[in-house]
Amino acid sequence: MFNPLKAPEGVKTALMGNEAIARGFVEAGVSVVVGYPGTPSSEVIASLHEYGVSSEIYVEWAVNERVAFEIAYGAAIVGARAAATMKAPGASVALDPMVSSAYGGVEGGLVVLVADDPGPHTTQTEQDNRWLGFLAKLPVVTPSSPQEAKDLAVSAFDMSEELKLPVILRTTTRVNHTVGEVLLGQVRPPKRVSGFRKDVPRFVRAGMAWNLERHRWLDKQLNIAEEVFDRVSRVRNIVEGSGRFCIVTEGSAYNYVREVVDEVGVETRVVKLSLLFPPPRRFLAEAVEGCTDVLVIEELDPYLELVVKSLLSELGVSTRVFGKVSGHIPLEGELNRGLVREAIASLVSGAPSGTPKETQSKPIPGVPSRPPPMCPGCPHRSMYVAMLIGVSKAGYKRGDVPVFGDIGCYALASQPPLEAIWTEHSMGASISMAMGAKVAGFEGPVIAVIGDSTFYHAGIQPLIEAVHKRVDILVVVADNSVVAMTGHQSTPAWPTLESGRRAKPVAIEDLLRAIGVDHVEVVDPYDVDRMVSAFERLIRQPGVKVLVSKHPCALLEARSRSVRRYRVVEDKCTGCLACIRVTGCPAMSYNGEKVVISSDDCAGCGLCARFCPYGAIEVVGSE
Amino acid sequence: MSKVVNIAVASVGGQGGLTLSRILAVAAVLDGHSVRTGETLGMSQRFGSVISYVRIGRKVLSPTFSVGEADFLLGLELVESVRALPLLRSSGIAIVADTLKIPISASLEKRVLRVDELSKELMKVSKTVIVPASKMARDVGNPRAANMVILGVFQGISGLLTETSVRRAISEVVPSKWLETSLRAFSEGLRYSPSGQQ
Repeated sequence: MFNPLKAPEGVKTALMGNEAIARGFVEAGVSVVVGYPGTPSSEVIASLHEYGVSSEIYVEWAVNERVAFEIAYGAAIVGARAAATMKAPGASVALDPMVSSAYGGVEGGLVVLVADDPGPHTTQTEQDNRWLGFLAKLPVVTPSSPQEAKDLAVSAFDMSEELKLPVILRTTTRVNHTVGEVLLGQVRPPKRVSGFRKDVPRFVRAGMAWNLERHRWLDKQLNIAEEVFDRVSRVRNIVEGSGRFCIVTEGSAYNYVREVVDEVGVETRVVKLSLLFPPPRRFLAEAVEGCTDVLVIEELDPYLELVVKSLLSELGVSTRVFGKVSGHIPLEGELNRGLVREAIASLVSGAPSGTPKETQSKPIPGVPSRPPPMCPGCPHRSMYVAMLIGVSKAGYKRGDVPVFGDIGCYALASQPPLEAIWTEHSMGASISMAMGAKVAGFEGPVIAVIGDSTFYHAGIQPLIEAVHKRVDILVVVADNSVVAMTGHQSTPAWPTLESGRRAKPVAIEDLLRAIGVDHVEVVDPYDVDRMVSAFERLIRQPGVKVLVSKHPCALLEARSRSVRRYRVVEDKCTGCLACIRVTGCPAMSYNGEKVVISSDDCAGCGLCARFCPYGAIEVVGSE
Repeated sequence: MSKVVNIAVASVGGQGGLTLSRILAVAAVLDGHSVRTGETLGMSQRFGSVISYVRIGRKVLSPTFSVGEADFLLGLELVESVRALPLLRSSGIAIVADTLKIPISASLEKRVLRVDELSKELMKVSKTVIVPASKMARDVGNPRAANMVILGVFQGISGLLTETSVRRAISEVVPSKWLETSLRAFSEGLRYSPSGQQ
């Protein structure tokens, strides 16, 4: 296999945007990289782990994004080059220390990768983190391709060191997950600690006079940011073409604009920004000079549109500006060439329109949908089946007991046939929201379901809150010993990490007992009957109860040991579909008469056999 | 290559659709082309619908294309291929494995899906080659290499990329323990002659 991190300068290869960013970090001489897994950002750290880096570089997953950022910040103030990676909502988790870091600044370069998700494809909201520039007062740069992602990852470090400010490398899914050709550059040696000079007014945020002083310093730095960017960045703000019809764009949107403008053949001036904050006012003022109409094409919020409007208004220019506010570009969802073509056609006479807009085929009547399900053998499925039975055995109706979900594979239980969870909100919110329902007077029992990694990330504090306030709540920790949904990253329970580093496992059961949970029980969900009775008992019991549903992720278990497989005994199967209706297991299907189990896909949990009323499902080889 | 060639890869998560698109991308760069692939990954998409866009040309920027713009549809599963069919332009070619993975949503409704009916559906609207890719992959000793069989058939039909680059791309992308059987599956696909099909 090819190793994109070790390949020499000058090699050109196809890399995914996130692999290109990983390469860029190595080329820049990074020595600390920390993050929390989250699509579409995960492959940066995952590639550094997969392809391996020098032992001088510390690359690890942190317990959450805030901790990741603070580790990177601590490394940067002692002179190291450090990076933190996260998905869009992760930036909100890290926001408190990020805002303060602008006042203290850094010595070694600090780059924060924040991956936004127009679409959205895999994120709870279409949060636009370009606003972090205005909010946290930190420079924001953005690439439009894997090549630019690599080059900007390097330049962001140079910029950060020169401005002494953390720099946000803001990407979108169509850069993170796009594969494209990338020319590799020279690798610099890792820049590690250079020393820590005590400077209290700079690094202690407890003095208000110091804070005011540092705020003034910060604004001075932001004033020179455009000049520094122009000098050090390998990826520039650019103007292509000429004409009085102008398009201002950035990031992924630029790709659609460039291709459509070339196809349409209308004289257009294309202005592409790579520095998003502070807005490159000098460049932009020159770039849009003489434009009669400006169309701003961007994804997510009308960020650039407002920037352009405010600049033109300052300049006293009355150029018309179109974009999201005028309705030419949709406010929601991601862009594509069809949408861009239509926006241009509506403003430029003679520009052809009428191309299809959709990049995804509309649902075709008769073609059954296939949303991502829980995998065959998934321990979460067994847990939910037991939960639903336990609830009714305890004398409640399914519709009477709200199940507060959390973020992870176990949220896939929202799909039929389980349809088990009622909410999925933000990391850790299952426990606190369930508590909110109780303190508001919800009389019946409530259940919160949270995964092991999500519990470490943001579930511990809500649990302390629930224990301390003596709330009646049943919490299920769905513990599969891994961050499964984002591609099987390590959790604090692991003794050896992806990097090979030895670690001290932090056991969830120990945490639960230390917090003072009233009742802790650990059950293997493959033991369905024990799980049912645990639910039946615990749901009626007062206090804070935590049921740890503990079984390894089925995908990982299948790799480490041979699994038995199940098959349907044709003579006994009546085609009643009880097995499929209870489990929804994707290894099973109905062929018109009987149920069939795919031997390629069965993971051997046996849940279907447990619920077959005719004993028609048995272990292969047991006949 | 004067114009951009658009390829849609339709599969069920876990079948190796993304590996297939990655090999195409690596081979394209080895041949000196510009390439973009568009896909979303990371959410547990095993057993879910996966569509991957591959664009190869002199200069490519956008990672996706719209309905009616694909020159080729490479399908690793029949239902997903029917779902992705609108992406294919009327002159496009579909190369599809005869593998059927019935979605749970269909079984829950007792809907019956059959290989012959879905194949007929595909043949009706485009130039389609149906390939017994799973069987061919099993025969070379790697049941997971149906994607490499489809890649081989595509190579034989399109001649878009050089065979040397595709073979080298396979060796750069596929883990070494699966490499030999993957290359053999590719060769089987290359030799496959879609006789008796339109």
